[in-house]
This record gives sequence, structure tokens and C-alpha cells, in this order.
Amino acid sequence: MAKSSRTTSKQDATFKGSVTETSDLKPFQILASDGKPVREDLIPDLELVETLYRKMAQMRYLDDKFFALAKQARLGTYAQFGGQEASQVGSAFALERSDYLAPMYRSTAAMITHGWSTKNAIMYWRGHPEGWRLPDNLNILPIIISIPGQYVHGAGAALGAKLKGTNQIAMTYIGEGGTSQGDFHIAVNFASATNAPCVFIIENNGWAISVPRAVQSKVDYLMRRAEGYGIPGYLVDGNDVLAVHHTAKQAVDDARAGKGPSLIEQMTYRIRPHTTGDETKAYRTEDEANDWIANRDPISRVKKFLELEKRWNDDREVAMIAEIESEFAEALAAADAAPAPDPRAILEYAMVNPGQNLIAQQAELERRIAAFGGAA
Amino acid sequence: MTQTVDRPVEGETRPMTMAAAITDALDLALAHDPSVVMYGEDVGNLGGVYRITTGLQKKHGIARVFDCPLTESGIVGTAVGMAAVGMRPVVELQFGGFMMPAMDQIYSHVSRFRYRSRGRWKTPLVVRFPVGGGLGLLEQHADSPETYLAHTPGIKVAYPSNPYDAKGLLLSAIEDDDPVFFFETIKNYRDPKLRMEVPTGYYKIPLGKARVAREGSDVSLITWGGMVQQCETAAAAAAESGIQCEIIDLRTISPIDLETILESVEKTGRVVIVHEANLTGGMGAEISALIAQHALYSLEAPIERVAGFDTMPSPFNSLNHFSRPEAIHIADAIRKVLSA
Repeated sequence: MAKSSRTTSKQDATFKGSVTETSDLKPFQILASDGKPVREDLIPDLELVETLYRKMAQMRYLDDKFFALAKQARLGTYAQFGGQEASQVGSAFALERSDYLAPMYRSTAAMITHGWSTKNAIMYWRGHPEGWRLPDNLNILPIIISIPGQYVHGAGAALGAKLKGTNQIAMTYIGEGGTSQGDFHIAVNFASATNAPCVFIIENNGWAISVPRAVQSKVDYLMRRAEGYGIPGYLVDGNDVLAVHHTAKQAVDDARAGKGPSLIEQMTYRIRPHTTGDETKAYRTEDEANDWIANRDPISRVKKFLELEKRWNDDREVAMIAEIESEFAEALAAADAAPAPDPRAILEYAMVNPGQNLIAQQAELERRIAAFGGAA
Repeated sequence: MTQTVDRPVEGETRPMTMAAAITDALDLALAHDPSVVMYGEDVGNLGGVYRITTGLQKKHGIARVFDCPLTESGIVGTAVGMAAVGMRPVVELQFGGFMMPAMDQIYSHVSRFRYRSRGRWKTPLVVRFPVGGGLGLLEQHADSPETYLAHTPGIKVAYPSNPYDAKGLLLSAIEDDDPVFFFETIKNYRDPKLRMEVPTGYYKIPLGKARVAREGSDVSLITWGGMVQQCETAAAAAAESGIQCEIIDLRTISPIDLETILESVEKTGRVVIVHEANLTGGMGAEISALIAQHALYSLEAPIERVAGFDTMPSPFNSLNHFSRPEAIHIADAIRKVLSA
């Protein structure tokens, strides 16, 4: 690969925000937001870059479609990840298929990158019990709504894998707001103390619903906490998929090699509302999101790079979009065609060995089903 | 079938206290199943503050029995992740009152992990801790928090009253694919009066089966854990006045053995429920509701509950005997249901 012909770019200016403007730390970049390399030496194989680009484009399309479906009441309340495609795709792509992923509610892109299907994602966000069912061939732990439980489960899964000697590792996600929770500290410290192979990712998207990052802590970057745990901490431009992937791969390789956990802070931005029930106008200007969309978008950055490399053009873009649309339509049709949820799912899996209370409630559930004129 | 006072004792036995029987169960479980691991605060080198895991690290190795950071939420939360990937963690919390920092993990995750994944991930874990008052310890060292757990779906709660049951229930708990919380009454740990012949081999007592600890026809005393001993003292005193008490030792309060409770209530028609946890919304309320629903017309008298006060448990060491239910308080309740 002839890299010498590339025009390189300077590292982007520091991220805006009251706590970061005076920081001496700069998020790690491989590509600047204009799509030109900052670290030409770290540009990976272009096939990988293209794969990451395609996955991110697919995820942006999915996220927007999910929002539209929710507005049509064809999906329930949904937590959008729009703007965080590089942060999730780049990191989850560093995992082996057999590794454990401990997701939270905004981790849909990471989950799909790790093998979850679009059809299952649609059914999950529809509240269909079969969407909640995690496939046996995927090592994805349940989606956690009450953050930061997943961080502790990730640490436990990693320690379990280490004790079993399976060579698997765990990766788990949290937002910057979640780092203020006690279980954030508990999980990272526990993994550090036990040298558990867990990669802890903070997706710093600037906003915990309406609360800005500066309210969470006086510290400039949250990854500084890694030093207090005696583990590596990384500060990454979370909208640079190459930097995200490079860093996550390093942390994953270290974990697998027995070097213990890492903490990665990925600086990104939620360009969409917190959920489909949220209204951003109440707490931030449209200009702020528009600035990120126009100038720091994670997807167009890689696209520009691939175009500069002559690896991408309009024809390929059109063909890719057609493919994404048809794949999504197929998944949506499959989800629509799935049998209606069986109300008996309510008591299924409550316990492996149910007691008299649950057995009695089986009869009550049947009465309720009959009262509504039978199963839906 | 209800198990009665007769205990099957087969093969070799030796005298054991509650503490020794629990240690014996943990030792056997570690030998029986390589996926069993034990960790918590002080459990490795020291053997726990009550020395229940003494010797286990030395015998089974530091990868099986180890000390971990001081964090109840971390101990229980990592056990969820560890159980998911195929281990059987048997973790210890230092005291029942210290369960509360882990309550988010228990309520939000232990109880729902399998349900939430539709069976993809199981949570075969055991959380053990010492409970109960009457010893003049510090605050949060005398609690009996079983009601919080019984109200939480998806988990089982075992609360043994004697060495034989403790060992058999703990081995069942460790083998069980549901998460089980295991209560160990501190006052019973090394009480010589409870020392009894216990089989040295591996045996199990099913979770969800009560034990008729004493047969009688006049009053049903429904209880569990350390209160069984108090009920036995009260029943012995009542017998001297010709009153025959039946004692139902629930052994597990979740699941609850409704059949055995109803059999006894239908026989005696008079009920006293005894628990160390405070009164309001306690398990006595749930049991009373079940009796009212299924056996109201068998009752000859209003149900009495003997429980802790609705304050913190055992607040002042100098006043312990007033706050924790003792045999003398149970005797009052027996008189009350008989005079109704």
C-alpha cells in the first residue's frame, strides 16, 4: 500500500466543553475529521476500513429507521445511538466472536457488530419476548437498562473466563454519566484487583439526557481514573473509527495476553435525542448537534478517506445503500411476520424450579388470557 | 410428603455444630464440582469473620477460595457474570445487614438475568451471610433481611435452624440452577445445644420443603432460622401446662411450603408466626394472607405474629432481650391465641 502519496492532516482541535478546553490531553486520532490521516503509520488494511465504513453506514440507517418506526408506533421507546457508530462498531469489531459483550440500552450498534440480528433488535425494541431471547450461539449478556450493572457483570464474566482458562475476554459499555455510579468504580477496581480480562469502554457522548458532561465531574477526562486503578487508560476520538478500533484491539489483545483490564474513553456525541421520548430543544441548541453532524460525523470521515484512497465512489455508495435498504426491509418483514407474543412468556423463565406461588399464578395468568378472549 | 421430626441418618456421622456442618458442606461442594468457587471479604486466608471457610483455601487452592475487594455490590454483581459463563459462585457477605449495598445487583440483576435473556444465561449462584441478633454486636450486625429477598422474584431463600438441615440445604442450594440466598444464624453457629450427629457424606434436603419440628394439636408455631430454637423452648414450657404446640420450621421461605402450613393450620386452628425481622410487611404478613386465603374457616382465633419492632434491629446491646423475640414472648402469643 503506497501511503506516501497521502496528504496528511493535523490533529483536530481539542473537543469543546468546559472541562476539556484547558486539558493537556488530546484524544488519539488516526484520521482527522477531514478524512485525512493524522497517523499514516497506523492506517490499517483498506479492506478493514471499508468493512468498518459499511457497518457504520448500515447502523446509521438502522438507527434512523428505528426512530421512524417508533414515531409510527411500530417500535416501542428506543434509545438512539446516532453519532456513536464509530465508537460502537470500531470497538466491538475488535472482539472475537466467542468473547463476551455486556451491553447497555444504547449499545445496539455494538451488539449487531458482535452478531445480533436486525430482526431480533426490532423485536426486542418492540417488547416481544422472542426479541429478548438472546441466541445461544452469541455471547452477548442481557441489555441493561439500569446502568451501571453491566460493568460489574462484564468484570465477573471476564474473571469467570480467566478462572476457567478459556482465553475469552469481556467488553462492556457505559456512558459518561454512568461513570458517576458506584458500580462503575466497583467493576473497574474489581477487575483490576483480580486481573480480569475486561475492556471497559466509556462512550462520552457529552450528555446524560439533559445533564452535560461537566456536571458529572471536575476532571477533564474520565479515563484519568485508570491511573487510580493501576490499569492502562486511553483517550480516543470516538468519532474516528480507526482510532477506536486500533485502541480497542490493543486493549483486547492485552486482556487476552493476561495483562488485565483497560479503560477507554471515547469522545463522541449523541446527535439524536436520548430516546424517542426525549426532546433535545429543552437543554441544548440545534446548532451544537448540527455542528457535530456537519464537521465531526464519524461516517463521512471514513467515507472521505476511502474516496481519497480511490477505494470508494458514488456508484459503490449507491450500491451499498441499496443493499442496506433491502437487508433492513427483509429483517423488518421477518419481524413483522413473527408470531404474536404468547402471553405465557410472562411466567416463563421466572425460575428454573418454580415454587407454589408461581404455579398458582400460572392458573391466574390463564384466567387473564381467557378474560381477554384467548392468546393475542 | 411432609418430612417429620425423624431425620434420615445413613452411613457415617459425627457431631457437628451449625458452623461445622456449613463448613463441611462447602468443603464437599468444592470437591464435588470444579465449577464451584468461593470468594468474599476475609474468606480466603482468614476463613471469614466466623471462620466458616477456614482451611478451604489451603485445601482447594487460591483459584477456588479467595479474598476479593471490599464491595458487596461487586461480590454479588461479579457472581452474576461469573455464573453466566459457567461457574457456580458461592459468595459470602460479611453480615446480612451488609447485603444492602448489593441490593441493586440483587433486585435488578440476580433476580432477572435468566428471565431477561429468556434462558440464555443462568444464574446458579449462592450468597451466604450471617444473620440475627441477641449477641451484642454492632449496628447492621444483627439484621434478618429475608423479607426483601422473598419479595424479590426469581430467587430462593434458605434459612436453616439446625446443623443437619444447614448442610443438606446448602448442598441443594449450590446444585440449584436458580440463585439462592442462604441465611446463617450467628447465635446458632456454635451453640452446643444445637450440636447433633450429621452424616459426613454428601446429601441434600430439597428447597421448598418444610419440616415439622414438633408435632402438636393445639397451636401451630410457624417459624424459621434461629427462632425455631426459641419456639421449641416455648413449646416445651407450654407442654408442661398441657398445651401441645406444633412447630413448622419452614427451612426455606422462598419457595414457601404452603401445603405443610395448611396441613398444620387445619389440624390446630390456631396460629402464631414467629420471625426475627420486623413486623410490618414481614413474612408473617404473607403467611397470614395465605392462611386467610386457603384456610380461613379452619381458624379458631385471630393469627398472632411475634416479630421484631419496626425500628432498626437490636438497636441497643443493653436492651437486646426486649427487641428480639424470645421464648417468653412466644409463650404470651400462645396464651393469646388459646384464650381467643
